[in-house]
Amino acid sequence: MYRSAAKRLLLLQSRVCNGHPQISGVRTLTIPNSPRFSSTSASSSQTFSDQSPNFPHQSHAQNPNFSDSASSASSSQSSGFESEDAPHHESRTSKGSPPRAQYQEEQARVLSASLRHVPNLGWTEAAMIAGAREAGVSPSIIGSFPRKEAALVEFFMDECLQLLMDRIDSEKDLRNLIPSERISKLVRIRLEMQAPFISKWPQALSIQAQPQNITTSFKQRAMLVDEIWHAAGDEASDVDWYAKRAALGAIYSTTEVYMLTDKSPDFHDTWTFLDGRVRDAFDLKKTFQEDFHVTPQRVVEFLQAKYLAEAVGAGMGSSLQGFMRRVFQG
Amino acid sequence: MALRMCTKSLRRKLFPVFNSASLLHSHSTSFGFKEVREEEKSQMVGNVFSSVASNYDLMNDVMSAGLHRLWKDRLVSKLNPFPGMRHLDVAGGTGDVAFRILETINSVDHRALQDVLEDNLHEDTQIYVCDINPNMLNVGKKRAQERGLENHQSLVWVEGDAEALSFEDDSMDGYTIAFGIRNVTHIEKVLAEAHRVLKSGGRFLCLELSHVEVPVFKQLYDYYSFSVIPAIGELVAGDRESYQYLVESIRRFPSQDKFASMIADAGFQKVEYENLVGGVVAVHSGWKF
Ligand SMILES: C[S@@+](CC[C@H](N)C(=O)[O-])C[C@H]1O[C@@H](n2cnc3c(N)ncnc32)[C@H](O)[C@@H]1O
Repeated sequence: MYRSAAKRLLLLQSRVCNGHPQISGVRTLTIPNSPRFSSTSASSSQTFSDQSPNFPHQSHAQNPNFSDSASSASSSQSSGFESEDAPHHESRTSKGSPPRAQYQEEQARVLSASLRHVPNLGWTEAAMIAGAREAGVSPSIIGSFPRKEAALVEFFMDECLQLLMDRIDSEKDLRNLIPSERISKLVRIRLEMQAPFISKWPQALSIQAQPQNITTSFKQRAMLVDEIWHAAGDEASDVDWYAKRAALGAIYSTTEVYMLTDKSPDFHDTWTFLDGRVRDAFDLKKTFQEDFHVTPQRVVEFLQAKYLAEAVGAGMGSSLQGFMRRVFQG
Repeated sequence: MALRMCTKSLRRKLFPVFNSASLLHSHSTSFGFKEVREEEKSQMVGNVFSSVASNYDLMNDVMSAGLHRLWKDRLVSKLNPFPGMRHLDVAGGTGDVAFRILETINSVDHRALQDVLEDNLHEDTQIYVCDINPNMLNVGKKRAQERGLENHQSLVWVEGDAEALSFEDDSMDGYTIAFGIRNVTHIEKVLAEAHRVLKSGGRFLCLELSHVEVPVFKQLYDYYSFSVIPAIGELVAGDRESYQYLVESIRRFPSQDKFASMIADAGFQKVEYENLVGGVVAVHSGWKF
């Protein structure tokens, strides 16, 4: 949640942020909201004033642009994080999100550089040290991420959501698809962003599943699923909103896990699997609700059980099942 | 209570100074509650440590009931040392903090980190121990010898003043000062120097005796510090006066919040502190960017 949690909250949920872009995890040890030491406050004007003119550009210059790797149906396994120019975030940043303190810009720059080392070094402190060095920042900065590797995974999740939103805005074709196809397409776009990291993704999942990280993992996935439903043209006021979120969550995570062991070219089998699950869900919903008058809740439970069974059938480890249960059942 | 000083000779050394200091109104600084001329304070502190250097560990253990070890461990775990790090430990004469950092970097976990990073980073690791007092540095070197570290390429002993460091700008990944900042004449200068020598992203950490706020504990602690400590001091070191100094200087030191704001004023960001044992000691932290 380091890159743009505050901004995302503003954009996505239209929730009012407290205007204090402190990172929640570190807050316990921070003097809470005290304007005296907060680098974001006006009192330390020297730090505050440098940040807006200089840093946005610097950080954007370092931002990975991995939308290419995403749109090219992951035909190459090379990390999309090598590219140096990323105009994507400019517009979002200027839409009135609260300015981040300089240290947060630096944290984002380091995490962004660290992602380029993940395919080799994994979601590890080593990748973060390498990233800090590359960004020209002392690796001591890693001490400012209380949950270390989790910060890296969460940053990645945030970046991916941001890119997904950009794709939703820019890709007009999506609107011509029927809802089930649109959902399939969006899940695929999002999962393709993980393709360059696929060999290290089980490690990311296990980090996300650790008790101290699960709350954030859950929130990030919920936001992702909400965003996809929203983009699919579904207004969230429905009574069965919870059920929809859970159903899509189950589809998303099952496909995510399926992808881990998929050796077919460009994850062809994964996308077939995904299409099947989405179609199923839409059909089932219809059948159950119209013909049997079953509550959406029941449909979801049914789907979850079914997918877990399928995941087991596909030979996935029990730890991953455990992960899915925990993340998607709260 | 981690202790800074204890010596029979302290009293002898202090008295002439107090006399001359009492005549002066300006440029005085706190040496306990007694006002002392600035240029004399650093000299005085130097003298004090010269004579206690070799008893230092014993006193630390007696006064803090061994807790200072845990506090230093906490300090180093916050620092999160890494292979290839350039670190400066100021007022670190006895090497206590430096040895811990080195051990952490050399620990199995960190070896693994190093393997993954593939460079020969351990050769780049440099831990500078800086102290104003050569006798304290000698104690540290002797202890390094006992640990088989006397020729360790990573350890560098430097005599120097925290207020005017001899290190280059932007040259350090980390800076620590444990039970040292309360001895200095100008806290602001020490902070400014710390900021100057750190690289962008570099970490400042300070472990210091601090102010207890937890109500009942505060009263017990006050009793302990004003009555028990000078008494132990008299008993163990035959020197009540210097313990009086210690206790008073703790009261003089800025509160945790005030000190945090001084750190922020020196240019550090994301300034935080953590109280240990209800504020008997506090670890202050900040980053330079
Ligand atoms: C209480 S000892 C702390 C030693 C060690 N850091 C520890 O925690 O065990 C204080 C040290 O600060 C050193 N010192 C005092 N004033 C100093 C200054 N201006 N610059 C550098 N060192 C100083 C003293 O020589 C002494 O070694």
